[in-house]
Amino acid sequence: MAIMVDKNSRIMVQGITGRAGAFHAKRMIEYGTNIVGGTSPGKGGQTVEGRPVFDTVNECVRETGADISVIFLPAAFVKEAAIAGIRAGLKTVVVIPEHIPIHDMLLVRKEAVAHGCTVIGGNTAGIITPGEANLGIMPDIAFKPGRVGTVSRSGSITYYIANTLTDAGYGETTCVGLGGDPILGSTFDEILAKFEADEKTKAVVLTGEIGGVYEERACEQISHMSTPVIAMIGGIFAPPGKRMGHAGAIVEGKMGTAKEKLDALAEAGAHPAKTFLDIPNILKKLGV
Amino acid sequence: MRLYEFEGKELFNRLKIPIPNGRLAESPAEVGKIANEWNKPLVLKAQVLTGGRGKAGGVKVVNNPDDAQAVATELFALKIKGFPVERLLVEPRLSIQKEMYVGITIDRVNYKVVVIASSKGGVDIEDVAAKTPEKIFRKSYDIDEEFYDFDAIELAKQIGLPSQYVKEASRIVMALFSLFKKYDAKMVEINPLVLTAEDTLIAADSRISLDDDALFRHPDLAEMGIEKRHEEGEMTPREQQAKEWGIPYLDLDGNIGMFPGGAGFGIMGNDFIHYYGGTPANFMDSGGGPSPERLARMLVLLDENPNVKAIFGARFGGISRCDDFAKGVIMFLKEHGLTKPMVTRMTGNVWQEGVRLFEEAKKENPELFAHFEFHGIETPIEEIAKRAVELASEQEGGK
Repeated sequence: MAIMVDKNSRIMVQGITGRAGAFHAKRMIEYGTNIVGGTSPGKGGQTVEGRPVFDTVNECVRETGADISVIFLPAAFVKEAAIAGIRAGLKTVVVIPEHIPIHDMLLVRKEAVAHGCTVIGGNTAGIITPGEANLGIMPDIAFKPGRVGTVSRSGSITYYIANTLTDAGYGETTCVGLGGDPILGSTFDEILAKFEADEKTKAVVLTGEIGGVYEERACEQISHMSTPVIAMIGGIFAPPGKRMGHAGAIVEGKMGTAKEKLDALAEAGAHPAKTFLDIPNILKKLGV
Repeated sequence: MRLYEFEGKELFNRLKIPIPNGRLAESPAEVGKIANEWNKPLVLKAQVLTGGRGKAGGVKVVNNPDDAQAVATELFALKIKGFPVERLLVEPRLSIQKEMYVGITIDRVNYKVVVIASSKGGVDIEDVAAKTPEKIFRKSYDIDEEFYDFDAIELAKQIGLPSQYVKEASRIVMALFSLFKKYDAKMVEINPLVLTAEDTLIAADSRISLDDDALFRHPDLAEMGIEKRHEEGEMTPREQQAKEWGIPYLDLDGNIGMFPGGAGFGIMGNDFIHYYGGTPANFMDSGGGPSPERLARMLVLLDENPNVKAIFGARFGGISRCDDFAKGVIMFLKEHGLTKPMVTRMTGNVWQEGVRLFEEAKKENPELFAHFEFHGIETPIEEIAKRAVELASEQEGGK
């Protein structure tokens, strides 16, 4: 088992004829991901990597039975694309592009909640269930099927953590990139709940970051989970008021610092890790 | 990104929110000229992109216009949280009957737009909320929900405005809500909203923060000179240079140059340096799949920074391959040359090929590699951070 995506998922790509869409569709297919088609308005009837291209998400869903979409479109088009996917009845929409306007994401989130759809991102590296499906832009090289789940804001952190888990022999069930944008389609607690319900996931590594607001929401979830959670937070030493890379990673006056976030997570029952090398040591102690 | 007060007020003016009839001045002489012309009590307000201006002495009331130039000279000499004062907003002094607060912001945790108002303005709204929550109006809205006039009137009543001002106050709050939506704001504040002795309502100060990621759909802001900028303060020359090259870069106070991969590890890597007793000189993000040219430029930024004593480099080859990373570093070594000690590590996609390229280039020209230590997957990233801290302290010690 895994969460959110597996070998039976039927995945479509919005923006499949674009440079990034076509490139990553090919990569995902090579990994064994079940890509069933894609959309590009005005290019219906064409094919990419042998998969049919449709003008609308509705058509693609009807003809291919797609239940998950990965969006590879410029930020300005994400609001339309995501809402089209949500209203077409997709279970999950993954937003790869970054810098999605905040007001747009507020609307996307509202639509997603109303239609029971899970939106991941923007600015996510994607979701991977090793050995089954790789949605997005993550390099396969870091991942091996196994028993620990990860959820992180950042792609590069996900690779380092998965690599650590793989090297230590634990492997991963599913790795979810929550995204680096300031407003995200999903929150840590929502992904943690999915891992808690997954029998194969024996522990979860959560990585937060300065500027995030969803760590606070995670605390409540962690406090009543039976699956152990290991927590890391990036930006413990970041100076206040400075924006570091991720659009979201800025310490605003009223917001908790990275240190306060980590303390709160620990108080809720998470096991804090400072560096990647701490993770296998903690897992060993927990008997995972 | 934050706007200057005068920029915020220009937007207020566009939405017909009343503002004082002010003028921008760039020198004490200009202030003196305006004071002469107006010949009435003034307020001089330093224009800086940071909070706490009042506490830092950045706002001065000038009762005698003859004093204006001298007071302006003091203000122009001021540094507010390290930021120089380059412009003053000169406004006629208001006679104040009552000061209130109105603000609209985003509750990111609950995905809502929040309208907040208080009968007490000019002070920290957080303090008022904590001490006298009953004096605060607070209501949440969905992003596509309408803000109704009756809500605005209720707001005006709640912050203690007598009936005769309620309609004008609601008009101002509705206009502020429109401004928030129209310009993709993260936060808009009128603090204080002043009821003057002449019974008029006026926005005495503006604080606006916009979403940089939505600037593309507001070309009118670019015409006003409002472009992507820091949340606080102006950019340093090096940050400006990095911006021109399209590299997300920040100057920090330490002495270790950070040459990481993506943003997430850029942030975490800075923590690692601290854990081993060092301090980073910068934050940087390579972006996904950087070209060799971009990587070389990232190194130029660090090598030419006099604060940098050692460089820490890391690459997790994903879509971007480690051989491309090595090519970028070698391009820098050949074309620019490395003057600081540097330690890097590669792992992920074809890291062995990256190491092979380094070894080949080193054999060809060992001189270039005099200050450069490279590692592959066998050395944990934590060891590399530790080594960078060592190299930097050796340099500092050797002085």
